[in-house]
Amino acid sequence: MTNPYDLIFRPKVIRLESGNSVEKKASRLPIIILLLVALTYIAVRVTDFDVRVLAKRGHQFFVILEKIFVPDFKFAKHVWTPLFNTIQMSVMGSFVGCVLALPFSVLNSSNIMTNKAVLFISRIVLSVLRTLPTLVMAMIATLIFNLGTFAGTVAIALFTLSMVTKMMYEYIETVDMGAYEAAEALGATKTKAFVSAILPQILPSYLSTCLYCVETTVRHSAVLGYVGAGGIGLTLSERISLREYHQVGTILFMLFVAVVIIENTSKYLRKKLA
Amino acid sequence: MNPKLAEKLQSQPKRWKYQIPIALIVAILLAWSATAIEYRGITERGPMMALNILKGIINPDTHILFGFHDQSVPYLLIETLSIAFLGTIIGTILAIPLSFLSARNVAPRPVTAVMNIVIILIRTVPAFVYGLMFIRVTGPGAFAGVMTMSLTSIGMLTKRNTEVVEDLDKGVIESLDAAGCTRFQKIRYGVLPQLFSNFISNTIYRFDLNMKDASVLGLVGAGGIGAPLIFNMSLFRWNVVGALLIGLMIMVLIVEVISTRLRTKLARG
Amino acid sequence: MIIFDKVTKIYPNGVQALTEVDLTIEDGEFVGIIGLSGAGKSTLIRAINRIHPISDGTLTVNGVDVKTLKGADLRKFRRGIGMIFQSFNLVTRSRVINNVLMARVPDLPLWRSFLGWFPKKDKMDALEALDNVGILEKAYARVDQLSGGQQQRVALARTLAQNPQIILADEPVASLDPVMARQVMDDFRRINETMGITILINIHVVELALEYADRIVGIRDGRIVFDGPSEAVDQGVLNSIYGGDVPEDQKLSSMCAVTESGGGDD
Repeated sequence: MTNPYDLIFRPKVIRLESGNSVEKKASRLPIIILLLVALTYIAVRVTDFDVRVLAKRGHQFFVILEKIFVPDFKFAKHVWTPLFNTIQMSVMGSFVGCVLALPFSVLNSSNIMTNKAVLFISRIVLSVLRTLPTLVMAMIATLIFNLGTFAGTVAIALFTLSMVTKMMYEYIETVDMGAYEAAEALGATKTKAFVSAILPQILPSYLSTCLYCVETTVRHSAVLGYVGAGGIGLTLSERISLREYHQVGTILFMLFVAVVIIENTSKYLRKKLA
Repeated sequence: MNPKLAEKLQSQPKRWKYQIPIALIVAILLAWSATAIEYRGITERGPMMALNILKGIINPDTHILFGFHDQSVPYLLIETLSIAFLGTIIGTILAIPLSFLSARNVAPRPVTAVMNIVIILIRTVPAFVYGLMFIRVTGPGAFAGVMTMSLTSIGMLTKRNTEVVEDLDKGVIESLDAAGCTRFQKIRYGVLPQLFSNFISNTIYRFDLNMKDASVLGLVGAGGIGAPLIFNMSLFRWNVVGALLIGLMIMVLIVEVISTRLRTKLARG
Repeated sequence: MIIFDKVTKIYPNGVQALTEVDLTIEDGEFVGIIGLSGAGKSTLIRAINRIHPISDGTLTVNGVDVKTLKGADLRKFRRGIGMIFQSFNLVTRSRVINNVLMARVPDLPLWRSFLGWFPKKDKMDALEALDNVGILEKAYARVDQLSGGQQQRVALARTLAQNPQIILADEPVASLDPVMARQVMDDFRRINETMGITILINIHVVELALEYADRIVGIRDGRIVFDGPSEAVDQGVLNSIYGGDVPEDQKLSSMCAVTESGGGDD
């Protein structure tokens, strides 16, 4: 199978004394570098990237940063509720998403779902859910369910659903089907066969994935408030537009602490599962 | 009842000892979480909106979908791609030294401790905050988007790259040592090959994610497909929204397929 | 009673695995099925519980035409037929007793198998089945900690817990070394004699087949070429089944060359 690159840059043939020879394909590196440079150039032009602007006004960024590093803790009392809301949305949404992911990942697994039509539709739905950015889903959710935490939870649930399903169905397709076959041979329905024969195999991986999702969604859901889907995003954007950077610092600090706690707990639990 | 069997039954491991406390904790967490969720009901026009969105997708505004002017989907996608691309490149370059500084097997303890905290800080700040901050520097538009993407990329890439560096297979280095290689040769042949493909894999993965993030940055005015998206949604121009969503989804899908292929190729060689 | 009447099986890819097979098996028989690999032994056995549905002919089991079975009826039918696989087909991460309890899953509500909460009576029955095959002491061990022979016994216990009338075994001892293989075959014989269960074994080691089965069915190229008591099997019969000498890999001596299959390594 010759591809065009090899036709242009012929591979080097190395002949040994024994008479055998081997082909060394020409390195792809030069053309990759060329491609990257070209793309960079295009990107720079398209985005009006200009290093001089950075040099001139870059210090603005650090001015803001300085203020953020001096948090105004008096503002903290306004932060608790939205912060907790963010975490609550995250937990609830992840839970719903993870629970729904189990049947949905079965629908997406080619080794259990033998009905090609159902498989096809499931894969398409999954792709749509995965490619839509969370914020867009949140925006649409606020239009349908009103502003507030419910919309945010729905968005998180859909996001978790897509993430866990993708990881799980790829795993399920590599699982050992022997026990499943035995279960069907002794008269169990497909569902019961799945629960008794395959579920025990995938359970540790599934739980680990779910925990990982909770970790990730906390940071994601912090943003949702920006579009009015509840949580700390709204407070954050308000404070920024009011240029109250010290208060922004407070919010970020508390968010940081919460994320550290949650991430470490999750890491610890995941280690114990393995 | 056979006493031997009865005795065996007694010896069964008591799973409920840890199942019940866990179930309790989870139940409490959920109950607490549920308190925050107020179901405000479906908006009056909610179902109609959902329908309209679907109609908009099925019947997109083709003028925007296929045109080549400033407002068209292809142009916006290229802009979004460029933001993601440039952001990834800058992020990758800056992340490399930082990755080494955070690795416990390369840098001294105090340095890594500090670096780890810094990286977590960088990662915790939501992207849109950076977006708004950079707009003060560069003005609204794609440039701010690039800077934002760079920063977020640094955060995630450093974390993943550090894991790669720390997982370095010492065995290879040992065998090179035994063969009498100099320090430089050990790095060149033992360390770099392992790192190189993993770093690239991480970069490609980050590019994938950046595509999705970049489209969202438009919301804060940092360029890309996000700005027209929210603009048209607030005007209920569903055909336009549909066109934008279609373009977005196709682009993300394509990038993802390519990135997955490249990454498996890198992993398998 | 199992009756094959002019049964033919053609796979979707065109391979004709069984051609006009006539076979009658009475209750309580111990039948060994031998033949070359690919001769149709597996297809024959799996046609009985309809894992591979037949293409033509009639197959009746205890008066029921297997072809007509669907859905809940099919599942109920399968409850009465136990199947033993070459690769054991156990859930290796789970405990032995949970694997045996799998036999009760079709009759219990879904939530019970989901949570693993089985009624006490079912647990006692499972323990009894394990005792019957002699591995009661391993009831709460994880399956991947057992040896190959022990795992196959767990599979046997699982089948016994179904209270089947028929047991189909597809190469049950192929992954075991000679000593373990003998133990498992002894179990089969004991079950057949004390419980009166009909046993059909696909076996490629001819010596074992002749030693344990009362009746031998020889298959070649999808047709039955021999059907009679094991005493009647001589070299001539074997020639007609194998088309020559018994292949090396189907002799008992070859089993010693098989690497010891411990439990758990894939």
